[in-house]
Amino acid sequence: MHSIIRPNAWVALKLPSGNTKVLQVTPNTTISLGKYGSFPTNLILGRPYHVTFELQDKRPDESFSRLHIVPADELYAEVFAEEEAADCVAPAASGSGNGHDTVISAAGGDEYSLVDDKGNVVARSDRAVLDESARQRLTQDEIEELKREGNNAGKDVIAKLLLSHTALDQKTSFSLAKYKLLKTKKYIRRFQVLPLDVATFAQWQLDERDASKILDMRAEMIGLVGCWANVHFGGHDVFLPDPNASPGQGAQACPPVDEKLLRGRWLVVDDTCGLLVAAMAERMGVLHEQGSEEGEGEESKAPSQQLPVVTKAETQAPTPAAAAAAAAAATTTTTTSTAQKDGDTEMTDAAGEPAPQPSDAQPKAKKPRPSDFMIPYSQTNTITVLHSSSQPNLSFLNYWGFDIASPNHPPHPLLNHLLTLSWLQLLQPELDSSYATPPPTASPETLASWKPSRRGNFHRKRRRFARTRYVVDSTRAGGFSGLVCASTMDPISILRHTLPLLAGGAPVAIYSPTIEPLAALADCFSVPRRTAWVGGGAPEIEGLSNEELERWPGNERFPLNPTLLQGVSIQTSRARRWQVLPGRTHPLMTERGGAEGFVFTAWRAKPAEGKVAAKGKFKRRKVEPAAGKPQDATPGVETPASG
Amino acid sequence: MASQPEPAVSPFLDPGPRTKAHSLAILQLSRDNLLPVYLQPPTGEHDGYAEGAVVNTRYGSFPHYTMLNVPWGSQIRASKVDTGSRGRKRKRDGADDTSREATAAASEKDGEGPGAVATPTQETGGGGGGGGGGAPVVKQAVADSSGFIHVLPPTPELWTTSLPHRTQVVYTPDYSYILHRIRARPGSTLIEAGAGSGSFSHAAVRAVYNGYPAAAAAAAAGGQRKGKVFSFEYHEDRYHKMKQEISDHGLDGLIQLTHRDVYNGGFLVDGKSPEADAIFLDLPAPWEALPHLSRRRPPPSLWPSGAPPPGLDDPARAWVSPLHPRKTVHLCTFSPCIEQVTRTVSAMRRLGWVDIDMVEIANRRLHASRDRVGLNLVNFDRGVNNSAKDVEEAVTRLAEIEARFREHAAKARSRAAGAGAGAGAGAGGADAAGAGDVDMDSDDETAAAAAAGDGNTAPRPAAEEEEETAAAKTDGLPPWMEGRLITRGEPEIKTHTSYLVFAALPMEWTEEDEARAAAKYPVGQEQKVIGTIDKAIRKQERREQLQKQQPGSKKARRKERDEKLGEVLG
Repeated sequence: MHSIIRPNAWVALKLPSGNTKVLQVTPNTTISLGKYGSFPTNLILGRPYHVTFELQDKRPDESFSRLHIVPADELYAEVFAEEEAADCVAPAASGSGNGHDTVISAAGGDEYSLVDDKGNVVARSDRAVLDESARQRLTQDEIEELKREGNNAGKDVIAKLLLSHTALDQKTSFSLAKYKLLKTKKYIRRFQVLPLDVATFAQWQLDERDASKILDMRAEMIGLVGCWANVHFGGHDVFLPDPNASPGQGAQACPPVDEKLLRGRWLVVDDTCGLLVAAMAERMGVLHEQGSEEGEGEESKAPSQQLPVVTKAETQAPTPAAAAAAAAAATTTTTTSTAQKDGDTEMTDAAGEPAPQPSDAQPKAKKPRPSDFMIPYSQTNTITVLHSSSQPNLSFLNYWGFDIASPNHPPHPLLNHLLTLSWLQLLQPELDSSYATPPPTASPETLASWKPSRRGNFHRKRRRFARTRYVVDSTRAGGFSGLVCASTMDPISILRHTLPLLAGGAPVAIYSPTIEPLAALADCFSVPRRTAWVGGGAPEIEGLSNEELERWPGNERFPLNPTLLQGVSIQTSRARRWQVLPGRTHPLMTERGGAEGFVFTAWRAKPAEGKVAAKGKFKRRKVEPAAGKPQDATPGVETPASG
Repeated sequence: MASQPEPAVSPFLDPGPRTKAHSLAILQLSRDNLLPVYLQPPTGEHDGYAEGAVVNTRYGSFPHYTMLNVPWGSQIRASKVDTGSRGRKRKRDGADDTSREATAAASEKDGEGPGAVATPTQETGGGGGGGGGGAPVVKQAVADSSGFIHVLPPTPELWTTSLPHRTQVVYTPDYSYILHRIRARPGSTLIEAGAGSGSFSHAAVRAVYNGYPAAAAAAAAGGQRKGKVFSFEYHEDRYHKMKQEISDHGLDGLIQLTHRDVYNGGFLVDGKSPEADAIFLDLPAPWEALPHLSRRRPPPSLWPSGAPPPGLDDPARAWVSPLHPRKTVHLCTFSPCIEQVTRTVSAMRRLGWVDIDMVEIANRRLHASRDRVGLNLVNFDRGVNNSAKDVEEAVTRLAEIEARFREHAAKARSRAAGAGAGAGAGAGGADAAGAGDVDMDSDDETAAAAAAGDGNTAPRPAAEEEEETAAAKTDGLPPWMEGRLITRGEPEIKTHTSYLVFAALPMEWTEEDEARAAAKYPVGQEQKVIGTIDKAIRKQERREQLQKQQPGSKKARRKERDEKLGEVLG
């Protein structure tokens, strides 16, 4: 992906007005860009991303506009002209104060002037120009007429507008440039096609759709959360072997969770409709289709177009275990090839064989269905989503071709790498019916006697049981490599139940649009609270083992065990955008306001068993007269100057 | 399982559950005080220490073996390590530490006695025992009460805050944003020029990592591109240090470091193109490097000097672009000065880069604390403001003082009246004054007691301890929950790091490409309009759609959606 526009891909169209239009480019349709015109979708299919297209005038014999790729020189023609003008003027101006050719000014009544470093006036601003805006002689009707004639991709309109502006000669070069830009944005018929990746999507959602849906998460924050949570590719896929459970076997046939195999797993609480999960999946390399990652568009397209047909046949088997299936398919192909070798040696039979063999291979291509208790999830490189309602809300993943609610899903890398479970399943699985209800069993004979629909139901229930059981058990086994959070829930309550699940040293990164919840969270790990905890301020924890302390339910004075996190910190970032033009470089005047966005970061610590003394070794340390006070047990680490 | 035989994955990419010998660990002394350490296995005496390699910090001494084979994130107690006699010993031996027996003997002499020496520390028992078992004998240290540290797995963030500075460092707020914007993802190939201190290299390799290349060759089947960072460094000394770091961190094969001046030498590695799709330039003059990053040979006028650098000026030789030929390339340059930005952007425009965007990142760190203001707060530690917390408290306090003053004045007046009545000797007058003093003190105490009853105690240093508990009881709040929770910025903020210029270079599109695409997707069978359309048309379409869908059940709709999904994925 990200090289060539493919049919049915989701793309972002960037318009001259700065707006973005997100749509799925269905072949044989017409894309309408509103006032900028419309064009057949097929004209951008198979073309590269990021180039600038221009809508050409309709040919007399055609009913649609063709597109033309604008070369970069043309895009920047005006800037180049300005740069050259500046280069020419500079020597002239240095000679005398005769730089007035470039200064467009009104006679008299100077309000203020812009002076360059040598004292030459570069531009003057005049009140008359600033005040009066209605200097355009063309009426709206005339402009409409011009647009309808629609020549030269809107450039004619712009040129005519400029020409018929009466006060053009009174404009300073700055306001002239601004005027021209304004008109260009309005009338030029150009657009750009961008691939809809997480960065583009988030920006669009933030600027033009509902920012509150993604909790106002700006690109800076997505980057920070991903880095501080150390989200990255977590190792090559590892699958549990198929237990080959027969339909008569119950829950005990489910493969047990092997903690040694679990690696590179991240725990997520996502209330951004799936944007956070998508951002993480992109960082882990499981968001975009693997095959499409390569840019060899032309050659790979032919087979990929046939792919849907094949997959539809395959998805009759409702297990979405794409990779497992692929592995299984690989084994079957090897077996067939060995069978063929055998056939070669037995030349006598081979003559009779050829006809049945392809037909034999046909069902084999459908591959043996994995047993009901086969776990489709990889043991590594996974995202585990904890959700507060019965189904996770990951609707934005649809933009990347993944529908969490679809039962017969075509292959997608997220299928084997995205695990979801509800808080109830995590904390009280015995109350969750899909976890607690034992799987149905039946002898093969009974099974064979059933109608296909009933049989399908039977298998579906067993598969669901095995999957739920695996997801819940493996999550409860803990050992996660990190916790990422962007949630409307109280982060203290989230950490209370997720901290025990994190491996030692695992990073925690929590995003919040406002600082208050994060401040309250950081306060749970404040130095005085730690000091009191270590120094016996909490009599109720006396005599508890480290395991019990890790699962400390919390009370009012100590909502969380304050020794479970290290390096607690809150930060915020903001990118300030600049306009870079010759002689007119400055930060943008306005930017998006609203929620600022903050990130809480820390690392999971494994406190030492028993009481830890830390008096520190400080040269100029005042001796505390009152010994035996909690300060004495102050962790020197946090309070180098306390006491 | 299939990919088990990975010899050594970098601790940055997969640290495993426990600390390992010869591997990098980050010791966290305090929040921002981090110390990178390569953990050494206990191989006898080291550098004069009987305990093997030892880390000495202001929180005590930490022999490496107490930090080996423990879970990451473990809190490690300091150990009693004999640092004093080692220094003396070394001096006596003339800075030569070959005299192992002598040191061992010395340490035993002034050690804590054989019994104490033999016992390993309690909590690291598993780790210490496991690490030390069978290995050459090292002195087993006793836990010391001087402090503790935490041992954290290395990440690019921790490394960035703890690395040895060689140049200006690209910090996390900047690199996290850059990597997000230049689309560095598993499988990307990234060019980095100006390796500098290596902070960006570590973050970049994490972003593009999707397996080691050797493993890829073994797997072979997928043929998937493995992510890689091509790094260039001009400064020879920094190059060697960086090279060492890369292999120490197990990143060989993932970062390919080249010692080169990219302004003249370009970005090809062994004459071959790295086929990069993401580029980061942290150079003083990015515009000198930019012409090398072209898809076609740039015309001489676009080179800063007016002519291509030597070696590239032969028009007969084919131009090899370091960029991926079939992908959009994303670029970021990192320059502190606006003049650099102007020149860079100008060069980018002339070289055909699009979507040029300049930003600067302002990052702030905030500290949450309790703003403890109040007259009745205990001076538990610094940071308590013993002034009135609100108007009511101030008024109460003022009224109290006023009342006490009035009472005192009244008493003094009555006493003065009494003294005047029974005027005796001068000595008697002095006595009376003394009595007045005593009276005053007792008044104060009663007032204080009364105030304590109201829960409005003004703390007195003399009675601090009782009052601490008293205050906690009356308020029902422990001291760490008193006051308002506030956040404030750190004392010094970075107001400017550098300007980031982003740009993208689309793939080249030739006439033949266009002809092929046009043949593949012929125009003329348009049925539907998508995108912005009139409300009327949209309504009409919707109506038709609904009519069509009427007979279909929920199931049919779902099926349709699945089919659609299938098409999308195809």
